[in-house]
Amino acid sequence: MDENNSNNPQAIVIPLEANEPPGRDGAGGTAPVSGADRIKSIDTIRGVALLGILMMNIPGFGINWDFWYTVTHSQRSGKDYYTFATVFVFFEGTMRGLFSMLFGAGMVLFMMNKKEIPGQPTVAEYYYRRLLWLVLFGLINAFVLLWPGDILFFYGLCGMLLFAFRKLKPKWLLVIALACVSIGIVKNQWGWNEFRTKRAAYTEAVDAKKEKKKLTEEQQGAITKWTQIEKNQKPDTATTNNNLRKMRSDYGTIFTYFIPRNANGEIQYMYHGLWDMLAMMFLGMALFAWGFFSNKLRTSTYALWLLAGYGIGIPMGWILFDKGWMSWASIGPSAFTDAWRSAPEIFAEFRRIPITIGHASLVMLIFRSRLVPWLMKALANVGQMAFTNYLMQSIICTWFFYGYGFGNYNKLRFHQLYYVVFSVWLFQLLFSTVWLRFFRFGPFEWLWRSLTYWKKQPMRK
Amino acid sequence: MSLATTPPSATVTPVRIPSLDIIRGLAVLGILVISIQEFGGFSVAEQNFYRVGTHGGNYKLLTLISVLFEGKMRALFALVFGAGIILFMQKKHPVPISGADAYIRRQFWLIIFGVVNAFIFLWPGDILFHYGVLGILLFAFWRLSPRALFIAGLVCTLVFCGKQYWNYSDDKKDYKKYLAVTSLEKKFKADSLTRARKDSSDRTMDTILLKDTLRKNKLADSLAKKNDTLTKKQAGEKGKWEGIVKGLKYDSASAKAEKKAMRNHHYGKIWDHLLERSQQRESSWLYRIGIWDIGGMMFLGMALLGMGFFHRKWAGSKYLIIALVCIAIGFLLAWWRIQQNNTRLIDYAKFVEKHSLPYDLFFPIERLLLAIGYASLVLGLLKASVFKWIWQGFAAIGRMAFTNYILQTLVCTFIFYGYGLGYFGRLQQWELYFIVIEIAIVQLIFSVLWQRYYNLGPVEWLWRSLVYRKWLPNKKKTESTV
Repeated sequence: MDENNSNNPQAIVIPLEANEPPGRDGAGGTAPVSGADRIKSIDTIRGVALLGILMMNIPGFGINWDFWYTVTHSQRSGKDYYTFATVFVFFEGTMRGLFSMLFGAGMVLFMMNKKEIPGQPTVAEYYYRRLLWLVLFGLINAFVLLWPGDILFFYGLCGMLLFAFRKLKPKWLLVIALACVSIGIVKNQWGWNEFRTKRAAYTEAVDAKKEKKKLTEEQQGAITKWTQIEKNQKPDTATTNNNLRKMRSDYGTIFTYFIPRNANGEIQYMYHGLWDMLAMMFLGMALFAWGFFSNKLRTSTYALWLLAGYGIGIPMGWILFDKGWMSWASIGPSAFTDAWRSAPEIFAEFRRIPITIGHASLVMLIFRSRLVPWLMKALANVGQMAFTNYLMQSIICTWFFYGYGFGNYNKLRFHQLYYVVFSVWLFQLLFSTVWLRFFRFGPFEWLWRSLTYWKKQPMRK
Repeated sequence: MSLATTPPSATVTPVRIPSLDIIRGLAVLGILVISIQEFGGFSVAEQNFYRVGTHGGNYKLLTLISVLFEGKMRALFALVFGAGIILFMQKKHPVPISGADAYIRRQFWLIIFGVVNAFIFLWPGDILFHYGVLGILLFAFWRLSPRALFIAGLVCTLVFCGKQYWNYSDDKKDYKKYLAVTSLEKKFKADSLTRARKDSSDRTMDTILLKDTLRKNKLADSLAKKNDTLTKKQAGEKGKWEGIVKGLKYDSASAKAEKKAMRNHHYGKIWDHLLERSQQRESSWLYRIGIWDIGGMMFLGMALLGMGFFHRKWAGSKYLIIALVCIAIGFLLAWWRIQQNNTRLIDYAKFVEKHSLPYDLFFPIERLLLAIGYASLVLGLLKASVFKWIWQGFAAIGRMAFTNYILQTLVCTFIFYGYGLGYFGRLQQWELYFIVIEIAIVQLIFSVLWQRYYNLGPVEWLWRSLVYRKWLPNKKKTESTV
């Protein structure tokens, strides 16, 4: 990668060794051309994202979802509330966003750093094989390791779409990213409109009832529907108890319990939720092409992005939290639906992207300031083993929380979950650093590579 | 049909294999035989109605179509598509572009065409979307040996069978739960009856008030109170099975509603009505069934191409023997399926009690055998050089399969949907096949005429131009095409 051409990815010519297969997964070649710190910066951000993801996932692993109801309906004080507010104002969606951006960037890297060998499968084929394995790992993560919040499945499939866009100019990538955001917003608004239609039908039917008119079947239905929606806001004890009983049982029970959840999740999110992921991936590709992740911009630029990102994103995050989720809980869905023409999730996207960029800029600034080199190094190690660490989070957390492990499901309070998060972070920082002292790749990275190239890869340093 | 890109050496497979075009042409027309049912409003519920009724002409026609066509034509189409994957990867491109890039873009545009076909032309039965997605998933496999591809195809088919079995065992479980709930309900009823009798004959009450009427009222009260003790979960379990059984029955009210919705004059209303259906096919169906259903046949197509099957490299007798065996076994399986289905439709509860295997367990194998059998038959006949003129017609249609497929949507939605002529649900099943024949004739003439002047069908040309990002010349240069 020639520094001078960094603004034009199409002009990048990469000197390559002839021996295949080079490159660490998604993180550059074995013999990086101009200094290891550039790749390290990507690894560092990826490490941050990877650890950050656990913050968002931990409620899914460890607590029954009625916590959401409890915390939004309680006093605005106490450890649980502050933890909840912090996590949701500053981080919700952003760590996934960061991870998606780096996935997009990693895709470009993978394609760039390889050389075609005549008579051998092309780089593109390895790329697709790699993604197919990723999809399979995602299925295993969801159905075998029993983590319904898996993202690998979706990343694998989205990556297959990104391929066709990898050579586009960053400007166009940005346009496509915005188009994806817009599609997501339109779909969201559409859903909200339908929701409001239900509400309007209900109001109309109630008015008719007040005037002592005879209600049509449709109007009756409208009343039932909306009453049900209101009722559904409250966690149902039977469902909660059932969930608790299931989550504290043996492997087989949870396995069966999760099959429909995983299947429906994968269907719905892949088909309706991919815009969210694609947008961040395209954005990541564009930013990568501009040199953002490879530490190529000026310090002032990063500082500017940091200020702009946080400056726009955090106030919006607060408004979303305060006027959105908290208010939904306090005034109830009916009043909320009457008051807002758009769903709070629409703002979520506008808040998410700037905060994500803010986070990335912050990491870049710390990285180049060389303030806490040991931490940056450890984070880079985590990032270099992101795949292993991601799966490891599933393994550790399911064992800690689910019934076939230590069975701590729903036994901790919301803020206490974050003690678990900190412990896992510490463990992963140490583990990755020690592991990479002896081995070239994380264990799952090694497995993944070996499967992709269908050949056992060298492992020891 | 010759592009400017003739293969440079004899080792490269020629771009077009005529037998593939012929089979594709057959498949495209065959697909319409099944699609027309959904286009024309001959619903599955209505078909089921004929299956449980007296086995008259309608039933016979339905059975014939089901044995010969149902699922097989799509399978054949997927088979040819799979073969096309390998051919595409081996071909030279008119612009400098890597094979992978051209291929992925081609699939990508196919997905978009599929979305247009489903959500703009309003055909929920679209398969282009699915083929686009599957093609991308299968890209990584194209270099596998024909043997490995063949095994992959069989594995997919077996997984498909497994899924059928799994679905059935879910139904079985639902039925068991239903039985448990209903027996509980009976017990409640009996209990509350005795309790109520006891209550009403309670002698400590003022005996003067114990008139017959009052007694009856008390009995009813007590029954109502004690009866309603099913939990929400139990009620749900009961309702689930009842829903399954109801779903198999023809329901004139919902059929009427469907007809009304589809005959609406407004495009927007029909769009609304079909939206969820199309989305479900593109998401849930693809995830649960489509991957195996389509993927398996594509793998087999890839394998068979590698084995020289479509190149007519094998002995003519071999093709005919394969055709004979496959079609014979396929028909037997189809026959078994239809018999089982009839029993199922008459009384599903009884069926579930008595049968350990679902009626459609072997359907994936049936369609595989018949698709390969049909292909083999065509190839065998080609080898024997009979019916030459017919083959030319099918080849013309097959070369423009994409155009013809989209045209079918346009013509059929125009005929049947409310914003067109609104014939939805107005034609008998046999009348629908006249429409199929008419469309087939029109497509034949159109395809032959079009290819007299142009190299590619209009949609094929658009597709290719989009892939190469260049308007490719399409006019035939007089007769001098070498």
